[in-house]
Amino acid sequence: MEILAGSISAGLLIGMVFALVALGLTIVFGVMDIVNFAHGEFLMIGMYTALLTSQATGMDPLLTLPVAGVVGYLLGIVCYTGFVKYLLRGPMVAQLLGTFGLMLVLRNLALLFFGSEDRTIHKGILVNRSIELFMGVRVPVTKLAAAALSVIAFVLIWLLINRTRIGKALLATALNAQGARYMGISTERMNTFAWGIGGATVTIAGALLANFWSFTPYVGLLFTMIAFTIVALGGFGSIPGAFVAGILVGFITEIPGFWDYLTYLSGQRWMAKVPMSSFKYTGVYLAYFMIMLIRPRGLFGWKT
Amino acid sequence: MEDLKNAFDFSDFPRIDLIVAGAVLIFLFGFPLFPHSSFAMSTMIQFLMFSLYAMGWNTIGGFGGQVDLGQAQYLGIGAYTTAIMLVRWDTPFWISMPVGILMSVIWSFIIGYPLFRLKGHYFAIASIAASLVLKDIFEVWEFVGAARGIEILSMKYSPPDFMRLIFKEDIYYYFVILLFFIIGLLILNAFRKSRLGFQLRSIRDNEDVARSLGINVQWAKMKTYAIATAMISATGAFHACYIKNIEPEDTMSLDLSILIALMAMLGGSGSLWGPIIGAAVLVPLKSYLKALLGAASGMVGIDLIFYGGIIMLISAIEPKGIWGIVEKRRRRRRN
Repeated sequence: MEILAGSISAGLLIGMVFALVALGLTIVFGVMDIVNFAHGEFLMIGMYTALLTSQATGMDPLLTLPVAGVVGYLLGIVCYTGFVKYLLRGPMVAQLLGTFGLMLVLRNLALLFFGSEDRTIHKGILVNRSIELFMGVRVPVTKLAAAALSVIAFVLIWLLINRTRIGKALLATALNAQGARYMGISTERMNTFAWGIGGATVTIAGALLANFWSFTPYVGLLFTMIAFTIVALGGFGSIPGAFVAGILVGFITEIPGFWDYLTYLSGQRWMAKVPMSSFKYTGVYLAYFMIMLIRPRGLFGWKT
Repeated sequence: MEDLKNAFDFSDFPRIDLIVAGAVLIFLFGFPLFPHSSFAMSTMIQFLMFSLYAMGWNTIGGFGGQVDLGQAQYLGIGAYTTAIMLVRWDTPFWISMPVGILMSVIWSFIIGYPLFRLKGHYFAIASIAASLVLKDIFEVWEFVGAARGIEILSMKYSPPDFMRLIFKEDIYYYFVILLFFIIGLLILNAFRKSRLGFQLRSIRDNEDVARSLGINVQWAKMKTYAIATAMISATGAFHACYIKNIEPEDTMSLDLSILIALMAMLGGSGSLWGPIIGAAVLVPLKSYLKALLGAASGMVGIDLIFYGGIIMLISAIEPKGIWGIVEKRRRRRRN
């Protein structure tokens, strides 16, 4: 029973962080129909920002979140105005491969500057502590805090988009760019803003993940795929969809845990031999494939 | 028969193209006869291999406009089939290569059927997902050597062994891959003028119109995908005999798929010469950059920064690639 409860809570907590990871991608896609393959690289930069600022200033890793957010906002804006803007004129092939190029450049620049060794954050008020939730289930405080802060960030972004003037302008651009332009909204500025918000949310998620995830410059691709799966499952462009789908994908990554529980329940020998933990993320890729086949619109999608 | 005639028919190109192509072909045949370093030789072999990969991608990605970013999985299937059949059952290359092609084509139908129901971004991401699933499986599958991969020990055989394609000198490999290269070029030339080739181009330009004209879009895409995978898998089989050490990370990674697509796009996708031009620019750039700044100075991945930069530039400025620029100038001169 503890195994099961442990897997469920772990899936739930990591799923909330995943939802924040995917939020930026779904905003950018919703506003301007372009997929950003460098999304995971933004997250990786957020992780290194958290690590390096906390090392340089001696601050607690949690306090580096605003720094990571600012870095991500600027990065998003620079990428859009300096590069993505020019991609939008070209055909789809160019848009696809263009952000791939961005991904390669960011990843290998990180490799050049930070090296390829595994990094983890060792100190901080939360690191290496755990608390008992219920029924003997212990979760690390870092994961709990990351999940809670992700939910807060998520709600703030949702409020920003649905309750403020600029957010409504963003939404209008997403629904009908031409109509928005007629209403006097500068869609160019909205695109830039969407990239800024997208970058900021994903780097904040990266800074949260850095507290318990050991990382190298190669970590980006995994998160890009996770984010794509979440966005596809939730529906391209849907913000509540991203939240629900994030948690579902969190559960998918905990499939090895559920498998262990089933093995324990049934007592079958062969089940223990399946190297399920090596397939931890294969389930995510497979899930993307299945979603696209069964329901390409996603759970809450309004763009097809 | 018609296709065979088409394969050797280059008459629709301007004369200057044919002169340049002939000169390049003479150079390719003559190159090994002149003194050369082994480094230049391996660069040339890599160039021929990658232009074959890019030609394969060009059928579906260039003519068809379906941006497939999972082609490395077919490279992996071809390479693994040959390596395993050689190491475990001592099968000659000329048998294992068709087996590998057959397996790739079967696999391409299995995943192609669901894949081609998707379009655009969705298709591209799904093709990546499919290849990553296969790579994850190969990384834990003991039969194919899991993450360690599989190694062909050349001392077990007596080179030069033309049946198993095990040689000591690179020059033998060079001529084998040159033969493949010429066959690949002829196949692509036949494809370009075949019914299927025209169907694919109409699908790229406007899928709905193509469908309304009675083209079975799904089936046309799947057939082309099978042709592309067959070419890539055959070259992958050669890769296994040439490199002799097959790992999932080297043969099936996403970076490789991107590289293949990039070469076709840099040269000019959807044209006969494009993939060759792209490979001719990028492969030497890669080897010389690596040799120049590579591991010695600890600057890992600097070649990939260049690559990424090139992809960004080409997709923002001239998405039709080098050949696109040439064609634009020609059109301007004509008018």
